[in-house]
Amino acid sequence: MRINKFRLMTYPYIGWIIVMIVVPMLLIGLYAFTVPGNDVASVKFSLDNFARFATDAVFLKVVGKSLWIAFLTTVVCILLGYPIAYIISKAKGNKSMILILLLTLPTWINMLVRTYAWMGILQEGGVFSSICAFFGFEGVSLLYTDFAVTLGMVYNFLPFMILQIHTSLAKMDNSLLEAASDLGANRVQSFLRVTLPLSLPGVVSGITLVFLPAVSSFFIPKLLGGGQYVLVGNVIESQFLTAGDWHFGSAISLIMAIIIIISMWLTRKIDVQPKKEN
Amino acid sequence: MEEKKKIIQIKNVVKNFGDTVVLKGVSLDIYDNEFVTLLGPSGCGKTTLLRILGGFIDPSSGEVLFQGEDILKLPPYKRDINTVFQKYALFPHLNVYDNIAFGLKIKKTPKDVIDRKVRRMLKLVNLEEYGKRGITELSGGQQQRIAIARALVNEPAVLLLDEPLGALDLKLRKEMQIELKRIQQEVGITFIFVTHDQEEALTMSDKIVVMKGGEIQQVGSPTEIYNEPANEYVANFIGETNIIDGKIIDEHTVRFEDKNFPCDAAKSFAQNELVDVVIRPEDLDVVPREKGMLKGIVKFQIFKGVHYDTLVETRLGTSITVKMHVSEDKPVENKSAGEKISANSFYLDSEDVEELNDDRILDLAQAEAWNSETEEPVSIKSVESNIRKETGKYSVKFTTLAGTSITVDAHVVRANRQTSPVFQEEISAMEFFVKTDDIKDSMALDTDLKTWANAQAWSLEDGTDVAITDVKYDFDWENIEPGEYEITFATEGYQYKVSTTKALPDGTEVGLAFDPEDIHLMKKETIPG
Repeated sequence: MRINKFRLMTYPYIGWIIVMIVVPMLLIGLYAFTVPGNDVASVKFSLDNFARFATDAVFLKVVGKSLWIAFLTTVVCILLGYPIAYIISKAKGNKSMILILLLTLPTWINMLVRTYAWMGILQEGGVFSSICAFFGFEGVSLLYTDFAVTLGMVYNFLPFMILQIHTSLAKMDNSLLEAASDLGANRVQSFLRVTLPLSLPGVVSGITLVFLPAVSSFFIPKLLGGGQYVLVGNVIESQFLTAGDWHFGSAISLIMAIIIIISMWLTRKIDVQPKKEN
Repeated sequence: MEEKKKIIQIKNVVKNFGDTVVLKGVSLDIYDNEFVTLLGPSGCGKTTLLRILGGFIDPSSGEVLFQGEDILKLPPYKRDINTVFQKYALFPHLNVYDNIAFGLKIKKTPKDVIDRKVRRMLKLVNLEEYGKRGITELSGGQQQRIAIARALVNEPAVLLLDEPLGALDLKLRKEMQIELKRIQQEVGITFIFVTHDQEEALTMSDKIVVMKGGEIQQVGSPTEIYNEPANEYVANFIGETNIIDGKIIDEHTVRFEDKNFPCDAAKSFAQNELVDVVIRPEDLDVVPREKGMLKGIVKFQIFKGVHYDTLVETRLGTSITVKMHVSEDKPVENKSAGEKISANSFYLDSEDVEELNDDRILDLAQAEAWNSETEEPVSIKSVESNIRKETGKYSVKFTTLAGTSITVDAHVVRANRQTSPVFQEEISAMEFFVKTDDIKDSMALDTDLKTWANAQAWSLEDGTDVAITDVKYDFDWENIEPGEYEITFATEGYQYKVSTTKALPDGTEVGLAFDPEDIHLMKKETIPG
């Protein structure tokens, strides 16, 4: 009896999930496998949308570039984020709290506003080009380049990576490091053999949190990459908002979802499992 | 005597964390192949000392020599010492085999050698088939063994064990105690074991170091520590025991409980010296009352599986009996003011008259006034009394602002005291008045009775308070009628803890017998802290 009463409390949540997640997902599936009929009511099943995507080299190139930029962003985030997270986790008492606060402080400001700020910094006549001009390099503009887009993404998504890695480092039992030291490992060996492998789960969830938004972001490439700069997020956006082809847009979304699921599955494979020796 | 090699010398090691001194200058020699146990309650500094040896913390001052060389400058990974950590600290990302091989791999040992050594270790700890298991798949006892194997595989000269059995259940603990001792004898290296469990220490050790408050109390073999504890603290800590005040009569006789007993240990003390007499619970035999060297009654028994822990009282403590006057509550009502007031007559020690003030009188008389309708308390504005130091009956009048008043008697008397020359203590209590409702509403009657009677006991030697452990009365407190009752307050007498296999109902009259060699004597001393 009691259990059933508690179960009642989950109903609003289940309802929310159905309305806000399951139904839209089903709609995307429905749109992706259909083409527009003569009127709204008639629905024709077809794989045309997928065929169009697979046969058009332009779309494949866009997907390839999106994955590449997202991959680059993730790698840079790991390389920058790990040392920062390590330093924060080793900081004592209040220091680590202050560092985390400083890290998350910018995220309180709207992402769009912060990305606009980068436009100001990178464009010709902006802060960066003024500095270059001071050293005699006139008219330098980094805006509308791969570099600008990657920079924007790293800037926006780095905190997620740092926080994930920091969490896994902070909850690590200090006695494990003492044990490593006791067994003859110096600091470097302790790090490589104990700290690093034990923090991998944090890195993996960091990758998830950076790679996912990076691969589907559309306003960062739009603002920092310029009107001609197209990533897959922009294609989907234009299919829905400009071209009005919801069917094709849904198909691309579905394809991206599958690609992301596969890449995440591959990442999970490197997650820590006690190695089985034979 | 066989000459043994000193492997570790601890010289006057002090450690403080901020203002707290954890180790107050500890000096200790540890020899080759010894099983040494650091024994003490939590906070005695035993784990700190172990961590200093392991290299995880630095002492504030002092020296630690390892095979004659100072090792305080060396980091843990350069010391020929390995540690088994309290919570094992096994690497969760490695399987059993790789955990054990960790130290060898760091040292770049050839693969086939690693393999041979790890297998030998797995065999030593009886977990041969477990190499490929993940750490989380193991039980606590198995993890424990792996932690020992992981440390031992490096062939250290000394193994440190930090309360390694603390997390295991009783049965597993016993098994591991035997196992650890076997492993130590098999590998033949020094084990330094930290525990707060005296039984564990007695079972396994070659040498026990009893610590308290950052200082070493005694160092010795289990038998030495058990039979000849250096002081009362060690005696109590090493196991429950009976400690009685005694006096040396001559070199074969000790006197306690007003009787002379033959005692072998008396010869190492001077005549008339005051001593603590120690008799272990298991050395006391329960015999028929007439055959007993001491006579007493059974207070209670607790069954401990094989034997009963029995408490036998041989002598009542110091006691005093006082009268309690019980009356119905009849408050005085002032109808015009709508108030009621009530108070008790009370007894008062003539010595306390000088310090008497209105608040104290209000307390003694339990004077209260309240609004008849709302029951809200009303304050008592004036206390009129003519109490003087001379014994006699005086009157006290309590009045509220509205003029509601009540008059009660104050009996000033000489203190009622009982002195016990045997226990060198004194007890006092006063006759007192209470209302039936006070007794019926009491949450803790013994404590309330002590408060009402102002019952106190103290030592005549140093004036410290002595607990009143017994309050005796023969009324049914839930249905008490007005009248006079007698209450007896008593301190704890001589009680002996006895280990016996006989079931004895509470109140059985028994005798206690013991052998002359079972009487152990300790110098009387006050231990600092």
